[in-house]
Amino acid sequence: MEKFVYIALFAPLVSSLFAALFGMSPKKTFVGVIASLLLATSFVASAILAAYVVQTGHGIHVTMMDWISAGDLAIPFGFVVDHVSVTMMVVVTLVSTVVHIYSIGYMDHDKSFNRFFSYLSAFVFSMLVLVMSDNFAGLFIGWEGVGVCSWLLIGFWYHKKDESPEVNPSISPSWAANEAFIVNRIADLAMLVGIFVLYWNTGSLQYDVVFAALPYLDESVLTLAAIALFIGAMGKSAQFPLHTWLTDAMEGPTPVSALIHAATMVTAGVFLVIRANPLYSMPEVSEVSFFIAALGTFVAFFAASMALVNRDLKRIIAYSTLSQLGYMFAAAGLGAYWIALFHLAAHAFFKALLFLGAGNVMHAMHDELDIFKMGGLKKVMRGTYLYMGIASIALAGIPPLAGFFSKDAIIETAFNEGTLFLWAMLVVTAGMTAFYSFRQVFLTFDGDERYKEFDIHPHEMYKFVLVAMSPLALLAIIAGFFQGAFQEFVTSSPLMPDYVMSEHTHHLAIYLGILVLIFAVGGIVLAWKKYGNGLKRDEKCENSFIYQLLKNQYYIPQFYAEFISKPYYLLSHIMWKSVDMKIIDASVDAIAYLFFKGGDQTRKMQTGNLSNYLNWMAVGLVLMLLVAAVTALIA
Amino acid sequence: MDNILSVLIFFPAVAGLLGFVVDKSSARVYGISVATVELLLAIWLWMSFDGTNAGMQFVELIPLVPDFGINYYVGVDGISLFIVIMAALMTLLGMIGMNIEKDVKNMIISLLFLEMTMIGVFVALDAIVFYLFWELSLVPMLYIIGAWGGPRRIYASIKFFLYTFTGSLIMLVGMLFIAYLYYSVSGVWSFSITDWYALVLPVNYQIWLFMAFFAGFAIKVPMFPFHTWLPYAHGQAPTIGSVILAAVLLKMGTYGFIRFSLPLFPDASVMMIPFMTVLAVIMIIYTAMVAYAQEDMKQVIAYSSVSHMGVIVLGTFAMNAEGISGSVFLMLSHGIVSGALFMLVGVIYDRRHTKEMSEFGGLAAVMPKYAVIFGIMLMASVGLPLTIGFVGEFLVLLGFYQVSPVATVLAGTTIIIGAMYMLRLFKRTFFGPITNEANRNLPDLNAREMTALVPLVIIVVWLGVYPKPVLAPIDTSVKALLNFMEEKAQTPEAKETIILSKQTKEAE
Amino acid sequence: MIGLSHYLILSGLLFAIGFVGVIRRRNLLMLFFATEIMLNSANIAFAAASYYYHDLTGQMFAFFIIAVAASEVAVGLGLLIVLYKKFGTLDLDDLASMKG
Repeated sequence: MEKFVYIALFAPLVSSLFAALFGMSPKKTFVGVIASLLLATSFVASAILAAYVVQTGHGIHVTMMDWISAGDLAIPFGFVVDHVSVTMMVVVTLVSTVVHIYSIGYMDHDKSFNRFFSYLSAFVFSMLVLVMSDNFAGLFIGWEGVGVCSWLLIGFWYHKKDESPEVNPSISPSWAANEAFIVNRIADLAMLVGIFVLYWNTGSLQYDVVFAALPYLDESVLTLAAIALFIGAMGKSAQFPLHTWLTDAMEGPTPVSALIHAATMVTAGVFLVIRANPLYSMPEVSEVSFFIAALGTFVAFFAASMALVNRDLKRIIAYSTLSQLGYMFAAAGLGAYWIALFHLAAHAFFKALLFLGAGNVMHAMHDELDIFKMGGLKKVMRGTYLYMGIASIALAGIPPLAGFFSKDAIIETAFNEGTLFLWAMLVVTAGMTAFYSFRQVFLTFDGDERYKEFDIHPHEMYKFVLVAMSPLALLAIIAGFFQGAFQEFVTSSPLMPDYVMSEHTHHLAIYLGILVLIFAVGGIVLAWKKYGNGLKRDEKCENSFIYQLLKNQYYIPQFYAEFISKPYYLLSHIMWKSVDMKIIDASVDAIAYLFFKGGDQTRKMQTGNLSNYLNWMAVGLVLMLLVAAVTALIA
Repeated sequence: MDNILSVLIFFPAVAGLLGFVVDKSSARVYGISVATVELLLAIWLWMSFDGTNAGMQFVELIPLVPDFGINYYVGVDGISLFIVIMAALMTLLGMIGMNIEKDVKNMIISLLFLEMTMIGVFVALDAIVFYLFWELSLVPMLYIIGAWGGPRRIYASIKFFLYTFTGSLIMLVGMLFIAYLYYSVSGVWSFSITDWYALVLPVNYQIWLFMAFFAGFAIKVPMFPFHTWLPYAHGQAPTIGSVILAAVLLKMGTYGFIRFSLPLFPDASVMMIPFMTVLAVIMIIYTAMVAYAQEDMKQVIAYSSVSHMGVIVLGTFAMNAEGISGSVFLMLSHGIVSGALFMLVGVIYDRRHTKEMSEFGGLAAVMPKYAVIFGIMLMASVGLPLTIGFVGEFLVLLGFYQVSPVATVLAGTTIIIGAMYMLRLFKRTFFGPITNEANRNLPDLNAREMTALVPLVIIVVWLGVYPKPVLAPIDTSVKALLNFMEEKAQTPEAKETIILSKQTKEAE
Repeated sequence: MIGLSHYLILSGLLFAIGFVGVIRRRNLLMLFFATEIMLNSANIAFAAASYYYHDLTGQMFAFFIIAVAASEVAVGLGLLIVLYKKFGTLDLDDLASMKG
């Protein structure tokens, strides 16, 4: 079985290096095909491993070689394939394979076709390292690796120039890429601190050793580690206040948004909390866990509110990703780790589908993303309409699609834990989710054909692309039915605690479900009423304070720009021009100048006149005699 | 070859002397062949080095002034071995990448002499020999900056020379005082460092001596607030000068801390941890901020060098094997990465004769190979895992966390602000549309530049993925050093700090 | 009775005369004379001390100084002649080519 671990892990790396060989040559379709085949290989290997884990019930642990060892620290390249990681592996490789095939069509006209595949496969490799590693340092390799790939891919169209934030809220792809990298780095520092805390208190970074040692640790240590690791997770999963980068990341090509900024990388934070569940389940850190749940709920609501009014197709989906990540954190924070993982997987399928559908629309609309300029596209894009419809129904949480089961379970958990405020927020958010998903579907596909004013001639995507998307659509429909089997499988792992609803909740479950459904259907109906028959602009509403607030993302990006970026640059400038040049360097030069001036002044003694010299000599002689006399007297 | 070290030291010098008779047109080829042989010798040294032995190896001792205990005394251990190899490597690659038309012969000879002094400093085990090489290294560098530099080269080179020279004179006084103390205790003169290690100094003497050595090392590193000579030196030096300066000469300072300060003055070193921490943290954050404000590519790299040297200093005073090994490893990685970055800036300077970032933009489309290599080095510089930059930085921060979590978090901001200035540099130079017509037809890296840069890329990835061959010998020697310090420390506080800082709380 | 102190006072006076001469004179030749006076004042002190302490070292030293003074004059006068040939003067105020 070990060889499948290595095949699953290294096939994407091989794919990346292979594509990199052609990175600077013009488009070669076979690069995309071979990359997709290698990714498919990785998927098959992952599936075999999954079957193995299901059958035998235990994972595989391999240690490839040593990485860093210094002092008492020893970090190997070790990989563990257990219930949690194999689930992630299957999800990641499946979505990646689809996205790779999709990209062959989507990036068809791009001159950097080969380079794109190199980055995309490198990302998959990093992500697999992240989920498969058996220690925190290995996780960090993947963690940073996906960060770099995300940087490369967001900034893929690096040649675009910077716009003012009014024209393009993300300024430019390269700007968005840098923002994503730097914001993630802030969180990574916290994550490193978490790693250091665990190392110095347990003497190892291996998951099994660390988790075994947890019961012996002090409360303060556990709290610090839990907080630090969670801040790390917040960065990757774009939780408030580190969320701004995710919407700006939409500057990247759409397959990237689908793979990285929806299905896989952003869920890494959730994965970390799930992976470290022994830590977050400790009674000493229950407050941290509750904070995670509360923050998750807040972000779910907060992001959904911004999605309500946005006009950018991809940004709406990005907000919904944020919101769904909030749901996952809510579940993980409340202790329902398998539910979080289940929602993670289900979300990966329908969100990737939604993004790929959006990519088709973008392709058809010649990169126009404003949904106010679309409408009536269902006539020309039947397949895409179907896919995006399915994905939106799943996202809205309408049974029997996947989103209903996974999201309902999370809402039920919030009720079960007695955190009724969180529960209420999540229910309301479910209604908002349904509203903005269908607002976007209706504005894009239904109603009048507003695009005609802009002289755009949309056309459907290639057939093979639509076929490639079908597995995702299928899974978005049926994944929910496997909830029971999934629970049984994942929680059979010793590292994964089970979570079952109490008897009381169980009785109410049907009513709770219906309530959520009412909100969801209500949201859809509202969206239909407002947007089902074409776009009717409501000036009064659009100028209201709340609408503007939401449209400007609560003014948070402006706040960051005004109060962090600009002051930092100004301060740097002062540090350079005033402190470094005017104070430090100037004082060094002043000392040198002092010596120089001193020499220059005393130079005048050198008159060249011998008798002057003799006079000086005489003075010196007298002085020395005096000194000798005085010292003799004193002694 | 028992006297391999002497061969390593004097081969470039002798070859440099012979270089005077070499024909001008073949000077470059001559230089490269000499440097290649030197590198091969250095690699041979590594191959025959016993990584499990923590002590000095390949020791040679020839009395010079027996009455005063001054000997030609050299040897290598795990700490110095790789710096020696790096010095040989960077000299060779610097020569290959060099693009100088004027007085090539003189440049080659200067570089070969510089190589002698660099290797001499790192293998010297006698304080006087160490001091001789230390000061001699200034002369070729002064010449390189002063003769091939930019418009303000005279100012920059004089500043470089006088500033570092002043510091090292204070260090010399410290050395003489230790020798005197040794004489007054044992009755014989000795300048050999290994003899001095045995000397137990009173704590108040240790503090004064620590400060004297600090003056020499801190200016060389350069530590805040003694760093201002560096931006001028880098700003005016030719590419090859910056490469050697950043890659090897700066390491003399941090190497000095490990070779002299820690084992000679263990108590003072422990007492000085807060002082050094404050300086190092200021150095990391402050110079990173200054780097962010720069408009000139080379100045960004120059200030980033100072910032990274701060991390190295911090690791040195972590008093545990993780921190100090990390610090030594970071010296290597910083040498490789900053050397490569200076070469890369040199590449664009050769083409456009400007280093202003505002002159560029969109270079990634014009010079893709250049952009790729720059990108890899950038990522190594910001400490991406699986590149050489991560290993050292991670170990240093990990090690120092045990000493002071707060300082570690402050120093750890280097991963954020380091990314900020490097990404800003990269975005302004490589991304965006091509705004300047002069850049539209720039040629990509040529074969000569690729030959100089590709080996560095390979090392960056190789030692990032598998640092063990280098890290293991370093770690062995560092552990021995720490054990020695623990034994030698007199004050209970110092002993306790050294013991505590390397202890993990294992689960019972 | 003439004692040691008288010799020493004489020696001191001569030295002072020579010293003032060295400081005040502007002509190099005169400086030479003044130096000679100072040297000989020392000789007097040496010889007198030697006599009164019954120690011949002092007198030996006096001879030594005479020898040194003689050779100094020989070399010095030679230099003066060269200087005079070159500059046409021996006035110190005109010989300031070492002005810093």
